[in-house]
Amino acid sequence: MMATETKLPPVLEIIRGNIVKHGNPLAMKGSEVAAWASELKLPEHGDLLFYTGGEYQLLPFIDSLVNTMTHMDQGSKVFSLMMGARNIINKTGINAEKIYASVLAKDRDRFNSISYKAAIILQKLGYELCYAGKKELYSGALLSELGFSEDMEAYAVRVAEVLKQSKAKTIVCLSPHAAEVFKFVYPKLIKDFPFEIRTFVELVWEKRHMLPKIKSGETVVIHDSCRLARELEIDEELRDILQSVGVPLREANSNRQWTTCCGGPNKLLFPDLSHIVASRRVEELEETKADLILTSCPYCLSALQGGQGKENKNKTKIEDLIEFLFRGFEA
Amino acid sequence: MADLQKEFNAYTINLNKASKDENIKKAITRAVKSYRETTAETLTRFPHTPAMAEEVREIKTKAIANNSELLKQAMDSVERNKGKAFYAKDKQEALEITANIIGTGKTIVKGKSMLGEELSLREYLTEKGNEVWETDLGEFILQLNHEKPMHILSPSIHVPREQVAELFTKFFNKEVPPDIAQEVAVVREFLREKYFTADVGISGANVVAADTGAMVIIENEGNVRLSTGAPPVHIVLVGIEKIVPTFQEAMKVTEVTWRYAQYGVPGYVNIISGPSKTGDIEKVTTYGAHGPKEFYVIFVDNGRSDMAKEEEFSEALNCLRCGGCMYECPVFQVTAGHFGHIYMSGIGAVWTAFVAGGLEKAAPLVYTCLRCGRCVERCPMKINVPAMIQKLRERVVCG
Repeated sequence: MMATETKLPPVLEIIRGNIVKHGNPLAMKGSEVAAWASELKLPEHGDLLFYTGGEYQLLPFIDSLVNTMTHMDQGSKVFSLMMGARNIINKTGINAEKIYASVLAKDRDRFNSISYKAAIILQKLGYELCYAGKKELYSGALLSELGFSEDMEAYAVRVAEVLKQSKAKTIVCLSPHAAEVFKFVYPKLIKDFPFEIRTFVELVWEKRHMLPKIKSGETVVIHDSCRLARELEIDEELRDILQSVGVPLREANSNRQWTTCCGGPNKLLFPDLSHIVASRRVEELEETKADLILTSCPYCLSALQGGQGKENKNKTKIEDLIEFLFRGFEA
Repeated sequence: MADLQKEFNAYTINLNKASKDENIKKAITRAVKSYRETTAETLTRFPHTPAMAEEVREIKTKAIANNSELLKQAMDSVERNKGKAFYAKDKQEALEITANIIGTGKTIVKGKSMLGEELSLREYLTEKGNEVWETDLGEFILQLNHEKPMHILSPSIHVPREQVAELFTKFFNKEVPPDIAQEVAVVREFLREKYFTADVGISGANVVAADTGAMVIIENEGNVRLSTGAPPVHIVLVGIEKIVPTFQEAMKVTEVTWRYAQYGVPGYVNIISGPSKTGDIEKVTTYGAHGPKEFYVIFVDNGRSDMAKEEEFSEALNCLRCGGCMYECPVFQVTAGHFGHIYMSGIGAVWTAFVAGGLEKAAPLVYTCLRCGRCVERCPMKINVPAMIQKLRERVVCG
């Protein structure tokens, strides 16, 4: 195999640059990513670090950019600019703030609130959380997944530094992608990475008997996330949790370790294809005739929703497990 | 400098077109359902299979690690059986050796072979002035349609009967109705004449036993039996990764291959170890009794031994080419073989990088893979394709 010097598709370069320079794939400010937590006043230090990685918060932004991409030549200059390098955009006169704000405002609250709801659920279950706030950095999972291993090596050091400042023993991750990269990649990159890595699902599962019942009567089907079901081997836990809140469950034909991917992972490079993969998965889930599709991964959530298509009037509702469980506490 | 964006653009257009192709959707949906049902049923009927797959995984892993020894042994065995054995280090050598044996102006009947695709064998031999016929029905359809295979085992998976009828009507210059039985019959009649007038038969092999020099070829149609039995010359082209030490082990590899390849029980398993011979008159061994008088085996490397040396990728050589992973791949389910460059889907991306196009051709495939890992669940060899894809991305990015 010949090693050749290559010019990568610009979208890869932009994602890489944003993570390395701004600490997240879309060049958001730390304060924006942490805005959800302002009223919770979570301490910076503690045993259990609540880690969002900004992933739920960034979702609506990613989606609007993908929507833009689908109608734009990926090689064009405008496209490169759209991908989040704010300083350049400002210089060339396109108002990035406006683009971000106008396209995305409607979903911003919902996705910001997922991190908030997750924190509240864990607190109600008796977990004492700390949080890095605006210092929190994205895990770098995409650097690793897309092959930017050299960047990842350097970036992981910075992330680990922030994690260590919390003095936590355990990190609870909302996104299975973050959990995976912390659990399997970081120990290979960081000499001293002494954290126990848990997912939101696992912590909830351990105290599921404390969850309030959800009496909506809706039937639910779980979309297992690939990372969660196959890499982290968490699938029965989701069923246990839903059973303990008294929800009638349906199962898709392809579930647990045989789950079908939501198409999210190649959304950035192949948005059309990704959309079709997502639609097919939604069809599989809808075959169960469940009232509600639940998942526990930000990218699955976003991809499956995208897969439903705007024209579909009888859409099955898709929610994150976090949103669903929070209903019990609201009632 | 390689501009990957250009590779990506052309590829993406094709991929998107495929993803909207109703024929592909219909055909693959049907094929996936059938694959899953048949496999579930046969695994229940033959419950020893997963354990045997585990055993085969070890056999293959050891055999790959010990490949140069086994290659030597296999070549010796072929020669001892009065065949001729060759080693081709790359594509060009493989093609030249084959062309030197065959010459020009010959009629050739050929069995289905992914290695043949890798080498563009049919095209090369045709260019050398030979008439080459694909005898696998699916490959035959593609040959007439000037298309590339869309699945390694069911190459014309995407072509419905109506299209086949149209194609055959034109080619045979007579009305062929869109009736599958009649379509099969017309090809049977046509190729039958070719088998018995052909100068050379070419096949691949699913497994090679080093100790006996036995080539094992699994099939259902009977075309391989005829292609390898009727002409006076039989040439086998086989990848060096297919060699295992013993005949007994080869049988295990064979059974696991066909079971995951949705054969249940295959119509035919051909075992060929040398030219046809008889000693019936005065116990004097004479070659070319009913079958071929000449038997050649070309062991093709073409990047495989490089792959074997790489710890992160050598496991990919365990691939039995059962094609099960493709049915489970969410991208393949949408695009069929368009997610590929000769070799298809995630495992195909790895093979593309090493043996069939290099990193540049592999790059778009490598980034198409979702790394979702369902292929690993299906794979009898448990090849960790997502991990290899990640490593290939590193190479694309870092050079």
